[in-house]
Order: sequence, then structure tokens, then C-alpha cells
Amino acid sequence: MSGTFTKAMARNIFYGGAVFFFLLLVALTFDTMGGLPKSDNRANLTESVLRGKHIWETRNCIGCHTLLGEGAYFAPELGNVYPRRGAEFIKAWIKSQPTGTPGRRQMPNFNFTEQELDDIVAFLKYTSEINTQKWPPNIEG
Amino acid sequence: MKYSSQSVAMPYFIAAIGLFVGQIIFGLAMGLQYVVGDFLFPEIPFNVARMVHTNLLIVWLLFGFMGATYFLIPEEAETELYSPKLALLMFWIFLIAGAATILGYLLVPYSTLAEMTGNNILATMGREFLEQPLITKIGIVIVALAFLFNITMTMLKGRKTVISIVLLMGLWGLAIFFLFSFYNPGNLVKDKFYWWWVVHLWVEGVWELIMAAILAFVLIKVTGVDREVIEKWLYVIITLALVTGLIGTGHHYFWIGTPSYWQWLGSIFSALEPIPFFAMTVFAFNMVNRRRREHPNKAAVLWALGTGVMAFLGAGVWGFLHTLAPVNYYTHGSQITAAHGHMAFYGAYVLVVLTIISYAMPLLRGRAANGERAQVCEMWAFWLMTISMVFITLFLTAAGILQVWLQRVSDTPMPFMAVQDQISLFYWMRLWAGVVFAAGLVTYLASFFVKGDSKPLIHA
Amino acid sequence: MNTCAQTLVSPPALPAVASDSPARRLPGDLAIWFFILAELLAFGAFFIAYAFARANNVELFNEQQLALDRNAGALNTILLLTSSYFVVRAVQAAEAGQGRRAATWIAGGFACGAGFIVVKLFEYTAKFAAGVSLSSSTFHMFYLVLTFFHFMHVILGLVILAALWNGARKGRYSPGNMNGIETGAAYWHMVDLVWLILFPLVYVMR
Repeated sequence: MSGTFTKAMARNIFYGGAVFFFLLLVALTFDTMGGLPKSDNRANLTESVLRGKHIWETRNCIGCHTLLGEGAYFAPELGNVYPRRGAEFIKAWIKSQPTGTPGRRQMPNFNFTEQELDDIVAFLKYTSEINTQKWPPNIEG
Repeated sequence: MKYSSQSVAMPYFIAAIGLFVGQIIFGLAMGLQYVVGDFLFPEIPFNVARMVHTNLLIVWLLFGFMGATYFLIPEEAETELYSPKLALLMFWIFLIAGAATILGYLLVPYSTLAEMTGNNILATMGREFLEQPLITKIGIVIVALAFLFNITMTMLKGRKTVISIVLLMGLWGLAIFFLFSFYNPGNLVKDKFYWWWVVHLWVEGVWELIMAAILAFVLIKVTGVDREVIEKWLYVIITLALVTGLIGTGHHYFWIGTPSYWQWLGSIFSALEPIPFFAMTVFAFNMVNRRRREHPNKAAVLWALGTGVMAFLGAGVWGFLHTLAPVNYYTHGSQITAAHGHMAFYGAYVLVVLTIISYAMPLLRGRAANGERAQVCEMWAFWLMTISMVFITLFLTAAGILQVWLQRVSDTPMPFMAVQDQISLFYWMRLWAGVVFAAGLVTYLASFFVKGDSKPLIHA
Repeated sequence: MNTCAQTLVSPPALPAVASDSPARRLPGDLAIWFFILAELLAFGAFFIAYAFARANNVELFNEQQLALDRNAGALNTILLLTSSYFVVRAVQAAEAGQGRRAATWIAGGFACGAGFIVVKLFEYTAKFAAGVSLSSSTFHMFYLVLTFFHFMHVILGLVILAALWNGARKGRYSPGNMNGIETGAAYWHMVDLVWLILFPLVYVMR
């Protein structure tokens, strides 16, 4: 009857709404995938970058650092570490860990080869050139 | 307990609580590492502790969800579980796989673990929350499928209520969206884009269906309010959750290399995301006020109301705080995110699992409710944990605001580590709040062993 | 028209609701009114966001607005208004116990709605050919998102009208059973209402 709130109606609205918005998300995903080549720096996805990403993942870097703001908040943002520090500094820094300073946060040493260090730097350089809509606000990340 | 097969929920609940304890121990260790950086280094570096902390959380919540399902579905479907044996088998497989994975994190260097477990065949590891080795991920899928098979078969032969249908949809969604964890393209932007299809569509999508269904079930039981009324509310809440939450995914697509229109879409829809949580709070209080019986299990009612309030505060208010793109530009990836994460997970998912445990455990142990003293102890645990979580959140928020100010807003931005030193006072306070939380957890464990005259089951 | 509005709000010949205060009777299911409220809230959020974006970029918005097809928009406005009118007549017919006649009115409403879709598709085709996309400008983003979002509502509304048409032909709606048709009609009027705000806001207002 009118003025009542029927369960069938609530159910129909739920299914209609859920399907509708899921399809909308899928449509937007298609549009995003189409627009990505302009912003995701895929032209510079070299073999070295891919190896660097693999090293990034298998050392669980995201467990302490953020990358484009996502990850753990224990150690500095690395999405823009390449412009902040430069290739040589990054390599020297990784090699010199851990500092062993009492009471300070420590980063493990991973015994990387020179090639692996170059790959990591390549990955971080590629990441820093992704169009992130001007995030982070400044070079400190 | 109306059906004997509901008892398979018991080991799931016990495992969930056990893993919860582990999660908090590692949380405390990390809290200390934030201020005494070299604590436990090199034995347990921060990244390992964090991985254990977050993975244990996910696994114990999944145990809780599965236990809740095994308890709730037979009662809703009014039939015995399709296969209690399968449920027990899956319990042991999941527990052993989970324990082995955690031990792998703790005992083997992560890169070695990756090599040992086939990460070179299909690289899926090393992404936040999806750190599990490939074999564990496959194991999760197999356990999930067996579990869903068992539940679906039970439902097919029994009564199909709205609660069980919504719960089942949530669980199927959980399993389906997890499949995106196997997709890890080299293109970092795509990687991150679809990573959120697991993480966001879980916690701000299908998990909300599971949560709302469990809450609705408990509310029907403890308030005696007409099922029709509660089920209508359930539909309204989950509609609001999905309508806002699906496109709300866009609030993660602001700064990761995706088109700028997501800043508008993500802001608008996620600004509406508090509405379902608000509705849930109103719903819980409304139903308890309209109760038709005084259920002897007062602790369960408290947990249920706490779920509504804390989910609204943590997921709704603290989420809204930093969800608008112009705000998020400054707060993205700061301690404010951490503050929101802690209270949202506690308020929405930890509490809903503890709610169903609080309701179901006495029944599984053959009584309507625990004795007075045990319940008082349990309620103490609720307040200790909840208030300390509020303080953890407040301290992290304060730390976050200061961090954002010093590192990102100021004209002379300071480097990350220099800022961390400046805000260490708040990290200390967070740690102490964490210690109180742990005390609350110990109180909670104790409540299971408090002797006293329990309320007997009345067979009507 | 006066009687039309009156019958929409209060069916005097209905014994079942005669005891209720007639002015208070809500047509259709209460659930749909919650839903309509939520919908208007969502569109409202979009309109506010549009206002903010426009305030920051008045010149771009004004310039690109000129490139929109106002004639197509105006035609669509007429189509939706006509459609809403037909649906009102359908509800009246059902109220008067003429279920079959209601079906004819609904079919008319459906035809107008379908016309809206066709016009909109032509408009979109022209715009896409001209290089308009979600990423081409903030104004285009809002234009596409708002109109497409509404477009999808029209499609959903058409599905509902089709269901109503089917129900009306089978004589499902009668003075004693108006819930279905009133609920569907309320939704359709909401779709119309949103367009009546959207069209001036995005196409005309400067």
C-alpha cells in the first residue's frame, strides 16, 4: 500500500543502484586506461625499470616507505627521491645502511650489486616522472 | 545454539582472538620502533613487524567473518551446514597456511621467501597488504572457494533470508575482488590502480555488506525487533554503502598518475561515504531502543552499539576529514592516514567481529549469556580498548597535522626524518595508549575465564 | 490541471485511505522517496562542485559552454516535460480504473524518453568527434559526467516505464493498488526534475 516501505522496493533499489554504480566504475576505468598513456610515463618503462620494480617489491620497501604517498609512514617518500637526492646519493645511501646509530631508525643492508642499484635508481627515476598532478606539494615529499 | 553444525564456528573464533593478540603484540613493537628506531633491529625490522601486524589483522578478521558465517547461516537457513567436516578441514588448512606465512616473514629474508615460493613465476609480492607469497594467495583462493561452496550449498537447501543473501554477496565479492591481487603489471600506475580494486573494494565495498549483515543478525537476536524492519534497514544501508563507495574508489586516484577528473569524482562521492555509516549508527540505536525483549547478553548489545558509533567516527568522520582532494593534497600518506586507518578498522571490522563473538560464544558454550561478572569484565574490555583506540587516533591525528604543517605547508619545509623527531612526543603518547589497548585485550581474554553463574539456555 | 494535481495527491474515492488525512498521503513507496532524496543529494553535491569549479574558471566555462548544442538541450527539455505529463495522465487513468488507457499514456511517456536518448546520442557523437573527453577540460569533465550520469538515469527510468507499461496492460494497477505505478512515476518525475536544473546550469546560465 501507499506510504509504506516495502522490502521488495528496497531490494530493487539496492540491486539497481549497485549494478548501476559498478558499471559506472567500469566505464570510468576504461576511460582512465585510455587516458593513462598521457600521464603514466610508460615510454620510459625500460627493462631496467622493470627489474628495479621487482627489486623494490621483493625487498618489501613499501613496508617502511611510501611511494606516491602509499605504503608505510615510517621512512621518507620515495616517489620524488630521484629529483631530491640524485642517482649517486641514492646508491651510496643504500650501500651504507644500516647506520647503526643508537636509537635511530635503521634500514637493512641488502647487499645489492652495482647492476641492481642502477635498476633501483632507474625505477625511482621512472616513478618520479609520472604525472601525479603536482603531488607532493614540495620536494621533501 | 539451534543447529549442532554451528559449533564449527568455535575454532574460527578462538583462532581469530589468538591472532588478534599476535597483531597487538607486533603493533606495540612497531609503536616502540617509531620512537626507539633500532628496537629489535636487525632481528625484526619495522617492515617485517608491519607486515605481520597488517597481515594478522586481515587473517583474523577473515577468520572472524568465516566463523560468523558458519554460526549465522545454519540459523538463518534453518538447516544444518552442508558439510561441517569441510569447514573444519578448511579451518586447519587456513590456520596452518597463515601461521606458515607469518613464520616465513619472521624467519626468512623477504627476497629469499619470494624466491622460494614462486614469486619469479608470477610476481605478486611486495605490495602493501598483499605481501603474501604466491602459494599463500592461491591457498586463500582455494579456502575461500571451498568455504563459499559450503555456505552456498547450505543456503540452497534452506531458507533464504535477506541477511544470508547479503552476507553471501559480500563473501563472494570478497573472493572475486581478491583475484585482482594476482595482477601486477610493470606499469606502476596500473599496478596501483588495480591494487585498490582489492583494498578499497574490500574495505569500503563488499566488507561493508558482510559487516551490515552480521550486525543486522545480532540486532534481530538481541532486540527481538521484527525481521522485516531490520531487513529493510539493511537494504537501505548497503545501497548507500555501494552507491557512495564504488565511485568513492576515486579518492585513491588523486595523485598516482591517473587523470585529474578523479579529484572531482573521488571528492564528491567519498564526501557522501559517511552517510551509510551514519545510517548504521542510527539503525543500531533505533533498534535497541525499540527492543521487545531484554536479552541477558548485555555485553553483546554494547559491542553492537559500539560498532555503529566507532565505525561512523573512524570510517565516516576521520575518512571525510582528509578525503577532499584539496585537503588530501597535503595529508596524503601522512600520519593522518594512519589515524584514519586505525580507527576505521577497529570501529568497523574489529568491533563487528567481536560483536558476533560476544553474542555467539556463550551459545556455543551452552548458555544464553555469560554470568554477571564475566559480562562486566567484557564490558571493561570494550571501554578500555575503545577509549584507548580513540586516543591512539587523536595522537596520530595530532602527529599528522604537525607533520603536514612542518613538511608540506610551511614555507621552509623540513625533511621527513627531521619532522619525525619533532613529533616524537605524540608517538610516545600513542605508544602508551597502545599499552592501555593491550591491557584491554588482556581483560577481554580474561572475561572468557571468569567464573560465575551463567544464564541458562531457555528452550522455548 | 487542477483536478489532475488533486488526484495525484489525494484519491478521494479510495475507501482504504479515506480515513487517513488525505493531504498527508504519500504517493508511491516510502522507499522510493528515500531514494529520491539520496539521488537529489548526490546531484546536489555535483551541482555545488560545478559551482565551485566554475567560480575558479569562469572564462573557460563560459567559452566552452557556447560550444554546447542548446537546441538539442531545449528539444530534450520539451521531450522530458511531455513525457512527465503523459506519465501524470497514466497515473490519473489508473486512478480512474482505466488500466488499459494508462498503458497507452505510459507508452507515450516511454516514446518521449526514448526520443531524449536518441537526441542525446547524436549530441554525444558530435561532441566526441570534436575531441571532447573527460580529460579535455574541467568544463567538459563536468558536462560529460553530469549529463552522462543523468543519461543513465533516463535509461533506468525507461526500464521502469517499460515495467509499468507491462503491468498496466495486464491491469495490475487500479484505484486500490496504486503503489507500483506511483512509485515508478515518482522516479520518472525526479529524472525530469534533475534535467530541469541541469539544463539551465550547464547549457544556458552564464
